[in-house]
Amino acid sequence: MNAKRIITGLSMILKMLFRRRIILISLVVIPVAFLSGVELTASPKMILFRLASLNEKIFLEESQKGIALVFFAVASTGFLVSFLALNLIQIDNDVNRRLVICGYHPFELLISNLFSLLLMIMSIALYIGLLINAFVPIKHLPMFIFGLTLIGFVYGCYGLTIGSLIKGKLEGILLIFLLANIDVGWLQNPMYYAEAHNNIIIRYLPAYFPSQSAIIAAFTDYSVANAAFYSILIGSGFLTLSMFIFYH
Amino acid sequence: MILKVENIAKAFGKNKVLKNVSFEMNSSSLYGIVGENGSGKSTLLKIIVGEWNPDHGNISVAGRIGYCPQKTLLFSQLTIDEHFRYFAAAYGIEKKALFSQSESLMDYFNFKKYRKERIANLSGGTQQKISLSIALLHKPDLLILDEPYNGFDWDTYVRFWDYTNQLRKAGCAMLIVAHLLTEKDRFDRVFNLEQGQLI
Repeated sequence: MNAKRIITGLSMILKMLFRRRIILISLVVIPVAFLSGVELTASPKMILFRLASLNEKIFLEESQKGIALVFFAVASTGFLVSFLALNLIQIDNDVNRRLVICGYHPFELLISNLFSLLLMIMSIALYIGLLINAFVPIKHLPMFIFGLTLIGFVYGCYGLTIGSLIKGKLEGILLIFLLANIDVGWLQNPMYYAEAHNNIIIRYLPAYFPSQSAIIAAFTDYSVANAAFYSILIGSGFLTLSMFIFYH
Repeated sequence: MILKVENIAKAFGKNKVLKNVSFEMNSSSLYGIVGENGSGKSTLLKIIVGEWNPDHGNISVAGRIGYCPQKTLLFSQLTIDEHFRYFAAAYGIEKKALFSQSESLMDYFNFKKYRKERIANLSGGTQQKISLSIALLHKPDLLILDEPYNGFDWDTYVRFWDYTNQLRKAGCAMLIVAHLLTEKDRFDRVFNLEQGQLI
């Protein structure tokens, strides 16, 4: 393991990411599109809802717009990070193989990629967290940003898994948007969840724990430790799976 | 001896591409391998450089390999300078040596003026020169080139042979693969890869 190679790899990967127009456009357009949609359509009416990971008897009262904004912050982070992760692992795979022939250890390239992904996740979580805070008062902003980081971690590692498994770009994007849309973009919405007949399925989807962390931190004083622990566990599971597929 | 290839075999499904391929190369030698499209030339090179594993057989290399693949494998969003830095890290070349070697290659193959340009904005011929220069960056002992002069203009083609002659004088062995080799008298030996065997 050579630190100089890892740092060089990290700096080159970040340069390549930021030079792709689609990445920069996605970073700006996806959160703005999601949040503008909510701002223009959601009502300020106060509603009662409950959070799946809290006691069933605990009901919270928030404006519909506030809940939707927080939920879509989680959704847009998941969408963005999974797309970035897919890009990271799929694009220039052949050239990375040439680097390995020339002396890079695959593990050094992998660490550079993971550091790049983590940096991107933290930046996106910070950017979206601060943006949301301008529209709706967040109770515990640092923990909310941490919750967004967790959804980024879980969905980033899901993107890596899909990118390792599927070589086609379009097929990869389809699989990412399919799960992200159903899971983080729909079923984890607390307004939908409160009325769902069978919420067991929802609890087993990857976005369940990280979205609970973010929403608990946004609206309550309850601890997010449990949800955070399981988020890290699920993200690490996806990460291990992606590495296993990548090397075999 | 700088390269020893012993009984290499490789099959893709039922298609046996290489059947017990063996040969040896010494320092300063220049060997060529020709063959029809799909005869297994690139497969053999990928096995020699370690990109693919053979089904059986052994490869021994004594020294550093420089490999220029058939497809110009470069990062479209990085500049020429950034490529040299990235691959120098892979080879373990120090900053000072990288500077002198990259400047000399850019001067020799005449693409210094594009050093700050991203690869996506360069012509196929210039990309091929960069790909070749990356293979030469660490002054290899064995240079393996897969269709190296595709896309070269006449001037670059002449410079390519001048440069490789200098390398050979310094002890570098070269293995060139092409579907068509002209000027066969330049080579110490030319193999024909036919039905998975070197003839």
